[in-house]
Amino acid sequence: MKRSLIALLVLLIAAAICGCTQNKVQNKGVSTGKTVVIIGDGATFPQPQINAWISAYMKLHPNVKIEYNGGGSGKGQADFAAGIVDFAGSDPPLKKSLWERLVNHPPAEGKNPLQFPDIIGAVVVCYNVPGVNSLKLDGQTLANIFMGKIKYWDNESIKALNPGVKLPHKEIVVIHRSDASGTTDIFTTYLSLVSPEWNSTVGAGKVVNWPVDRMGRGVGGKGNQGVVAELKSTPYSICYTELSYALKENLKMVALKNRAGNYVMANSTTIKAAAQHISSYIAPPYAGYKENLRQLLNAPGNDSYPIVAFSHLLIWKNYSDPVKGKAVHNFIKWILTQGQNDKYIVSGYVGLPKSITQRVLSEAGI
Amino acid sequence: MDGEAGHIDTFKYFLLPFCLFVFGLFALMLAVYFSASIPIFKHEGLKIYTTNAWIASENPNKEFYGVLAAIYGSVYTSVLAVLIALPLSISFAVFVIDYAPSKIKEPLIVATDIMAGLPTIIYGIWGAFVLVPLLKKYVMIPLYEHLSFIPLFSFKPVTGYSYLSAGVLLGIMVTPFASAIIREAYRALPFMYREAIYSLGATRYEATKLLVKQIKPAIVAGLLLAFGRAIGETVAVSLVIGNTFNINPSLFAPGYTISSLIANQFGNAFIYKYMVPALFAAGLSLFFIGLAVNVLGILILRRYGYGR
Repeated sequence: MKRSLIALLVLLIAAAICGCTQNKVQNKGVSTGKTVVIIGDGATFPQPQINAWISAYMKLHPNVKIEYNGGGSGKGQADFAAGIVDFAGSDPPLKKSLWERLVNHPPAEGKNPLQFPDIIGAVVVCYNVPGVNSLKLDGQTLANIFMGKIKYWDNESIKALNPGVKLPHKEIVVIHRSDASGTTDIFTTYLSLVSPEWNSTVGAGKVVNWPVDRMGRGVGGKGNQGVVAELKSTPYSICYTELSYALKENLKMVALKNRAGNYVMANSTTIKAAAQHISSYIAPPYAGYKENLRQLLNAPGNDSYPIVAFSHLLIWKNYSDPVKGKAVHNFIKWILTQGQNDKYIVSGYVGLPKSITQRVLSEAGI
Repeated sequence: MDGEAGHIDTFKYFLLPFCLFVFGLFALMLAVYFSASIPIFKHEGLKIYTTNAWIASENPNKEFYGVLAAIYGSVYTSVLAVLIALPLSISFAVFVIDYAPSKIKEPLIVATDIMAGLPTIIYGIWGAFVLVPLLKKYVMIPLYEHLSFIPLFSFKPVTGYSYLSAGVLLGIMVTPFASAIIREAYRALPFMYREAIYSLGATRYEATKLLVKQIKPAIVAGLLLAFGRAIGETVAVSLVIGNTFNINPSLFAPGYTISSLIANQFGNAFIYKYMVPALFAAGLSLFFIGLAVNVLGILILRRYGYGR
């Protein structure tokens, strides 16, 4: 009995060791052989789009294998800085301190970081108010709703913007992200731009202290999925989320008043219009930290949607493994050229205007 | 290895490394949690446990974290869960073992075992889409309208996401765990006991009461396990608790729990200097809560005269 027990144990350990070494051999075979493996991590917002690019690109280039894990912008940045991944997706541009660390103390895997936008989305305001199918809001009113100053849907200031809409006398439930999120950063930065009071009392950031929470009318949802789930199950609620989620879940979206004074819904026309007007504020790839979110929001132009969101990619200009470096650069070049064609763009995202991609490619020098 | 001796002691020493390994894992984990949370203790001291704030800032000097609301929510919802699981699991165990017709006995047991093994996200989504609206409409709003002078019911249930929703969901989730332990202990009671009790002319209720008393340690163990499961649940809770930093006595107020806080914030915590240590410190507090609850369990068992 005892002997068989020991024999079994030895066998198990041997099997485990064999399994480990085998894995190692396999991994080595991959990186030195014909197939190049590229691994990325980061923002979840562009994940459906990046995955679509990856599958299209791998079909065209069977010897390249690309993986992208949506671990969040923060994790993408950290993993990229540690050399764990070959490229990273990040919604917010990098902070100056991290950028300088990447420039001065890069990991062994690469040096000279490059950051550039790869896709545009939009943050939209969605609502679940039974019986109301169109809603217009301006920035100040929106800020007042999210600050909790406007308590009921039939508040005078909402009524004034929506003549003819029958608004119910129900309390507004505000749903926001509970996790640190680039979406929150973009949305609160927009509110700070359009409402001085929001700017001074709440401010902007990936996490903010929501005044409505203290009034019991605010709830947080984890991720866009969590927010959308709560909106759908809570009548008389309002939330902000990414356009792609709103489209996928068929949510009712608010038409927002833009800087020119027109009410616009988020769609490819209005997002592209905004991008055109702010393209000059997109920082060059070799100085990515210079990008300022405030300049990208509330864009001028008659048709511009006010809350556009650029998602960014991070790569190295020089990889210590030249084969991998070439593969990454080719993939990125493809994303910024053919990849921007409508047939590769997933619903809810908008391709970058050519003026931006051409400039980025020439400035990156890859 | 000396297999020839054939002495019982060899086997004892053979098992020792495994015991040390398990204990070592626990000690190492505790050490990791402690060392990873040192920066936040240096930054703000024990205020991490005694204040309620979550200020994330790009500027590390402005960062400040206090997880009191989450600790409060964790304990609140887990206690609720145990209070709900207690009657459910005991009644279920008694019914299955004593009264269920033999045809449905095994299916019932299998069903609860499947419930115990279901991925928690399934409970979470069901909770968010079905349980929360139901509780809000049929429990919270009537109680609030008629009994809002009682602090427990004093919060206006606007959203339905609340301690109560999380507590009820957790109670449902942990009942299979508690009931599995209680059921097996109840099943193991010698048949002689039953015969003896009934021969004294006890009614079914009286008999059950006496028999359940015999398995008190199993009940305590089942509830301890249930509490541990409840306090550690992440995804399902974060879908129904509302995720707001509130400390409110009312069952209907939204709140936070440590586990859902960690699940919520970990993805992007790396952007900030002190958020990761703050989350580790929050995790550390769960160790202490777990320790306190286990000690409490041991004390209760001792009072019954077990486990000396």
